[in-house]
Order: sequence, then C-alpha cells, then structure tokens
Amino acid sequence: MNDIKVNRRGFLKALGWGGAGTALTACDLPTTITLEEGKEEVVAYVVPEEYVIPGIGVWYASTCTQCDAGCGLHGRVREGRILKVEGNPDSLINNGSTCLMGQAGVQNHYNPDRVTQPMMRKGAGLQPISWDDAMAELSKRIKSTSGSKIAWVSGSVSGHQSVLISEFLSSVGSKNHFAHETINSSVWSQVCADMIGDAEPRLRLDKAQIIVSFGADFLGTWKSPVHFAGEYAKFRSGQRGMLVQVEPKMTLTGGNADLWIAANPGTEGALALGVANFILDRGWNKENVPGTVKQALAAYDVDTVAGLTGVPATKIQRIASLFSERAPSLAIAGATVEGQANGYDAASAVMLLNIIMGNIGNTIEAGNKFPERALRAKSGNTGDLVKFAQGLEDKKFDLLFFSNSNPVYTAPDALRVKENLSNASFKVALTQHPDETALAADLVLPLYSSMEDWGSHVPAYQPEKVSLSIQQPLMEPLYKDTRGFGDVMLSLLKVKSNAYNKFPDYYSYLKTAMVNMPESVRSGLKGSRDQMWTNLLQNGVLNAGSNTPKLTPKPRAIKAATVSKNSEYPMHLVPSARLGLWDGRHANIPWLQEAPDQISKVVWGSWAELHPSTAGKLGVQNGDFIRVSSASGSIETQVYVHKGIHPNVVAVPMGQGHSAYGRYAKDRGVNPLKILDAVSEEKTGELALYATRVKVTKTNKSEVLVKMGGSETQLGRGFVRTVSADQFRRTEGEA
Amino acid sequence: MRFTVHTRNCYLRYCSTIFYKSSRTISTAIYFALASFFIASYAQAELPVPSHIVAPVGEHKGENVPQPIEFPHNTHVKDNKINCMYCHTYARRSKVAGIPPTSKCMGCHKMIATDKPRIQKLTEYWENGESPRWKKVHDVPDYVHFTHEKHIRKFVFDANFPVEDVQQVCGLCHGEIREMTVAEKTKPLNMGFCQRCHQANGGPGDCWKCHK
Repeated sequence: MNDIKVNRRGFLKALGWGGAGTALTACDLPTTITLEEGKEEVVAYVVPEEYVIPGIGVWYASTCTQCDAGCGLHGRVREGRILKVEGNPDSLINNGSTCLMGQAGVQNHYNPDRVTQPMMRKGAGLQPISWDDAMAELSKRIKSTSGSKIAWVSGSVSGHQSVLISEFLSSVGSKNHFAHETINSSVWSQVCADMIGDAEPRLRLDKAQIIVSFGADFLGTWKSPVHFAGEYAKFRSGQRGMLVQVEPKMTLTGGNADLWIAANPGTEGALALGVANFILDRGWNKENVPGTVKQALAAYDVDTVAGLTGVPATKIQRIASLFSERAPSLAIAGATVEGQANGYDAASAVMLLNIIMGNIGNTIEAGNKFPERALRAKSGNTGDLVKFAQGLEDKKFDLLFFSNSNPVYTAPDALRVKENLSNASFKVALTQHPDETALAADLVLPLYSSMEDWGSHVPAYQPEKVSLSIQQPLMEPLYKDTRGFGDVMLSLLKVKSNAYNKFPDYYSYLKTAMVNMPESVRSGLKGSRDQMWTNLLQNGVLNAGSNTPKLTPKPRAIKAATVSKNSEYPMHLVPSARLGLWDGRHANIPWLQEAPDQISKVVWGSWAELHPSTAGKLGVQNGDFIRVSSASGSIETQVYVHKGIHPNVVAVPMGQGHSAYGRYAKDRGVNPLKILDAVSEEKTGELALYATRVKVTKTNKSEVLVKMGGSETQLGRGFVRTVSADQFRRTEGEA
Repeated sequence: MRFTVHTRNCYLRYCSTIFYKSSRTISTAIYFALASFFIASYAQAELPVPSHIVAPVGEHKGENVPQPIEFPHNTHVKDNKINCMYCHTYARRSKVAGIPPTSKCMGCHKMIATDKPRIQKLTEYWENGESPRWKKVHDVPDYVHFTHEKHIRKFVFDANFPVEDVQQVCGLCHGEIREMTVAEKTKPLNMGFCQRCHQANGGPGDCWKCHK
C-alpha cells in the first residue's frame, strides 16, 4: 500500500478530470433519482373557484396575533394553504412591515404539536373527550358554580373577543377578569395617565431630534415594535436624530443607540432627576415647573447623582446639554426602569423631563381612542398576575378559564401559582398548544390557530388614526376537532344568556357587530352592509378619524428611592426580553429558536450574560456553566461574556425552560422568571420583574455555547474600518 | 391588487403534492447524447416540430402508470381534436398546467358516452363530490423552478404560432400524448434535456433561472 505514491498535485489533477467527467454526464442522469413516475398523487379541484389558479397565490388580509401590537397582515394562500405572510400596507400600525415573529406565524399554525381534540382529566392524565361531552360538563360546572368563584385569566385582549369575555363573565355574575402579560408597559401607562392625563399617548419618534430611552426597547419589545421601527427610521433619516439608551443590559434598541449608558440598576430615576435638575439650573428648560418640584430636584445635583448611578458627572451633563441643544426631545421609560420597586417614581422622573423640555403636545401627543369603549384593548400586566395568584392562594376561585395565557410557565415560583392551582376545583384551558397551564388543567379545549380563526383587534397603542384590524381565516382548519375562540365563547355565553341565540357562530356575530357599528367608526366604509363587510375584509383594517384632545401636564415633586446593598445577593438579575421568543410563547417555533439573539447571537438555548470584568473575577468564560441563585430559587446556564451589560448585572433571557409546550420548546434552557422574588412595584402593585437580587457561582461544567458568528472581533483583519469615538468627535463633530 | 375577497367556503382543495414512498432501485440506463439524437429524430417524425423551435434532444422509456381511470388521451386529442389547453387550462397562466377539474370533465360527459364504464366511474366520483386521485407522471424535482406559462408564451403567443397546433409545442417535452391512453413519460425531463433546448433556442443559461 505504501508503495503507491500520489502527490497532492496528481491527486487534484485526477480529481479534476473525474469531476469534469461526472459533470458532463450528470446532466443526463435520469430524474428518477429524485422522482419516480406514478408515486405522487395529483388531485384536481372538483369545481374550481373562478379566481383560483393552481400555482398562483391569492393574498388575503388578516391580523397578526404573535404579540398584542395588532399589525395588519396579508397572507399568501396557494391551493388552499397559507404559505407566507407580509405586512398590510394599509395598516397604519406596521405600514406593510412585519417582524420576525410575524413571519414565523405560519409555523405557529402548522406546528406539529398542536392540541387536536378536547381533553378532560381522568385520574392523573388527560383523556380525549368529544366536544359535546366537554361542553355538557362545562355548562354543568358553570351552572353549579357561583359567579364570584369563576375567574378568567387571559393575555392582552381587545375587540369582540374582549367583549365576549366580559359578556360571559357578566352573564355568570363574575368580575374576575385577569389580563396577564409579562412583557408590558403598564407602569409607564399609569404614569402617563397620572401626569399628562392620557394612559396611552402617541409618541412622535419621527418629530424628535433626540430620544433618551430609559430602558425602553422600543425596536424590540416595547408596546408596538414594528410601528416604532418605522417611526425610528423617520427619526434617523433627514436630519439624523440622536438616540441615547440607558439600560442595564444592551437590547436591540441599545445596540442601535449613539450613546449607551448602564446606570446602576434601579437608579435610572435618579439619573433622570439629575438631568432635569441640571437643565433647570442652567435655565435650558422650555417649561417652568412649580417651586416645590424644583426644590425636590435640588437634592439631585450632578455629583450626588453620579455617585448614586455610577454614571460619570460629565456624561450626565452631556445628556442634559443634548436635551437642550437638540429640541424637540423625547424621553421614554421601559421595562428595566418600570420593573424596579421604584418603577413608578422612576418613570415619573422621566415624564418630568418631558414636561420640563416642553414635549407634551409636541413629541408626546394625545393618543387616539377607539370610540366604542368595549372594544378597546385590555392591556395585560403583571399586577393582575399578582392579584390572581393571591386569589388562588386564598381559595377564592372554583372554576378557572385560561385563554392566550400560560401563567404556570410565566409566574415566578414565589407566587406559587402552580401549587395553588389545585385550590380551584375545575380549570379550563382554551388553547392551541399543550402548554404548561393546559397540562395542569382539567379540561383542555383546542382552538383554531389565528390563521384559521375570526377576530377583531383594537391595539392599545393606536397610530395616527383610530385603527381596528380584522383577523380573517387564511385557510380552513387543519384539525376538524378544533374550534374558534369566538365560537367557544358563544357556546359558553348561551349557557346562561339568551341574548346570543340568534348567532349560530362567531362569524355571524362578528359580521353583525362590525356592520352595525356607529357611523363615526365605520366612516371609511361605503355601500350596503354586505358591501361594507366585503370592503372591510379586503382592506383588513378600519382607519377611522382621529380624536386628539389637548394634554395637560401635571408636574409633581418626585423622589427616586435608592436601591439598598444586599451582601448575600450582590448582583441584579435582568430577565431580558427579546423580539423572537418574547415571553416564551414562541419557544415552540423552530424558526424563532433558530433566529439568533440580536445581541449574543445564541440560538436554541439559554445563556447568562456577564460583563468581562465580572466574568474575570468569577473565573469563567464563554460556555462555562454558572449558577444564578436568588432567595426564591436557582438556575444553571452557560456564560456569555459581553461588554454591553452593567458589571453588577447578570442577564438571563426569558423564553426558554419549558417543561412542556411541544417538541421544540420542551426541556430547552432555563426560565429566569421562575427564580424572581415576589417584589412588587410600590405604587402600582405590578410585579417588579427587574428587582430580584442574585448571587452567581461557578460550576465545574462547561460546554460549547452554540451561537452564530464565532468571533466578536475582526481578529485584526480590518473588514470594517473604524475610528475611535475621540477621533470622530474631533473630525466629524459630536458623537 | 394583491388581495381578494374571502368568504368562508372559498377553499376547495387542490392537493398538489404529496406522498413519497420508499425509493426503488433505479433500473433505467444512462443515456448518451449521440444515441439519443438518432432515436429522437426517428421518434419525432410523426408530430411535426414547429419551424421556429429546435427540438430538445433526449428519450426516456416511461413506465406504465396505472391511473384510477384509464383516461384515453388518444380519443380526446387525436379523434376529437380537442386542444391540450382546453383541459390543461392553467398551462398558459401558471407554472403548472393543471389537471382539469372534475366539473370540466362532466361538462361534456353529462351527455357524451354515458354508457361507458370509465365515464360511469367518473360520474360516481362527481356525484360523491370528489376528484380522481391521479398519479403524477411528468414532474421535475422541487429544486427546479419550471413554469409552463413562460414556455407557452415564448413558443406560442410571442411567436404567433397558431394555438390550434399547440400540441406540437407541448409534444416537445411530453411526447406523442395523442397516441397514448394514459400519459407516459417519453422525454427524460432532466437537466441535460432542458439545457440542450435552452442553448439551441436561446433560453436563459443562468443557474438561478431554474434553481432559485
């Protein structure tokens, strides 16, 4: 064997000739390699629809339900199957765009692990049951349970689905509707309501010349990300606006910022007050605030604030001068600020900055409100989760309904939701997927996917006009034993009320309700009622006029509480949210598992982000496992070392760590929400998601951290030329 | 406009796809270009090649594929002179030529030949609201983007070729369908076959035109 000598050149030569020979004949290899005649079936239509041509897609308008922003969609349907979605250009919310979660909606619909038939608990397990038997059992339970013992837990809900839930609860005499969303902006809304008289003002990112965002990841997870991404593009074009982001862990928005600042967690309010004080001191303010407010601010001189926040005094002065130089400005507060125990005060401090800079009525306008109050969004929050958990603990509920909500997964262990579920004798989950809550329920009712169901959506954050979006099915149901949410609601309503007997299904209810809306709402729709309905389905959206009253700012004296030191648990836990897995509801979508995290580029798993200095002190590097322990529990996951995080913070993304929820989600990564302490925001009662203190310890385990992009540097190869910020400032003006 | 009105009952399924069964041993031989040239010239003597087209070269010995109804192409095409695109009506509009919907068959066969067993079987399908589950004979792999519409446009409509003679164009790739009962594959429809025709007739040569 050793006698045969082939040198490299000879080997390549042989390979080259061989390859050419293969290439010449390969084109004429019979296609039976891939296709066998008579093995596939092709079935024609019995009677074709006039406009349907096999091979050519037809687009239908609908609404995205992947988060509660309510973006309009166009879905491409070919041969009766939904293949692709794009944004609806007529929707003022997303103006023809979608995010990756919207694109992945088709995988939510085609998910192989959907619940396909009703199931009822028999002994320890869930057994299949017919719809008739399920509804018979349910109506028996509804009739025999007193109204106050019935509760409904949902996510954010609006439009006619919201109406039906309210109607059902009032038909049985219950007032227990809990709308729970882990990713929300309810503290900010409360601050807006209290300080400018409008809980959901319209934010004119496009008008601003500088945006200072205190923890609001408006390009990723805050309110209406696709809408804000569009407004942000306007803000950056023309005379380029400047973005300053203050947050403990870099988000997608932080990654886009011109100036990224990590203040000590929980001191962002103090930073805002320090900036406000500096502005007032210099007389750069546009509006005057009462003396009491000024006096309270005096405590926040630059040096004190610098000591408190860890942000150098020069930077605080720079933010303040940017505010005055680059009017109009806009300051907003998001999750990492809202989610502290002092979140309300901190967000108020941010709003005070807006008042001082005269932004009210300028970059902060009154938001549009949908004229029909009953259809307006019930935005989910965590305060409702706390109340629900308390009610469960106090054994207040016998009959529980869950829709579009998975509290067994999202609630921190400290709230004891999972344990206390047994306090309710009968739990009903209306769901599309076998999530953790469904598996803990006594009756599981399988729903249509949002691409099979009807609905109407009035998003909480309304764009320049009052907007309602229609959700129409993009294809026939995949599973014959599933039902529409509205259809199930109507059957539930008919148990105790006769008012809905005239509606055989949700479609007829929705159509009747829509075409009978007051003239002011359906102003854009013309013709007979049938024509109006047709137009509505064709457009997918209803954009009525706008109603913008004047806002009156109510500045008040604010004190931002400081964050105490904790020697046992020295670090802060940031359960970071991202556009993708969201609060964990999309962990069963492989496209979104595969889509890398925008900052760390990690796929299909969990990680704990640490600052290089912290990782150095701990002696860990990328891929090493660490234990993150709070007073309420601990999780173990891999380290990802990154400079875009405060040294005293460990960030673990939410979304993974499912114990059920189908093959793509189950047993993958860890869920940081589980180890959160039950700390509440002091003024609003919201769960303070970002106030948990933790300690981090090293373990002996280490594995390769699976992420796209092997290296974070160019390894000296200079693909992208850079200049230092100092040099840029000298040559190109301010940075 | 991209969208259209949706009503609830608007989907009648056109199942175009679907089941691959386990692959079988490939018994077919490899074709050499030279040999196929002679065979091709001989075989195509019957159906004239339109003067503006250089015929693609290649032969294939198709298998006899049993169909739910033994559809006689010869009766329809040769005896009754029905145009290919009367039944395969999507060929000029879409990437697929389309199998005619059952309603189209019944348009004639409510009256014609109702005593024949094959028509009685068809009527049975129709009355049950079903389509026969035909077996696919001509196909290209999923990684090949082939569109009937562009080929018909180039060789028939843009060339002012008489539409009544369209079977001469169809026959370039589908062979002498007019002589068959159920369709058989007589052309290889592989890359060499496509490529030779593209070269001879000025079709695009970029990889991504077909492999997108």
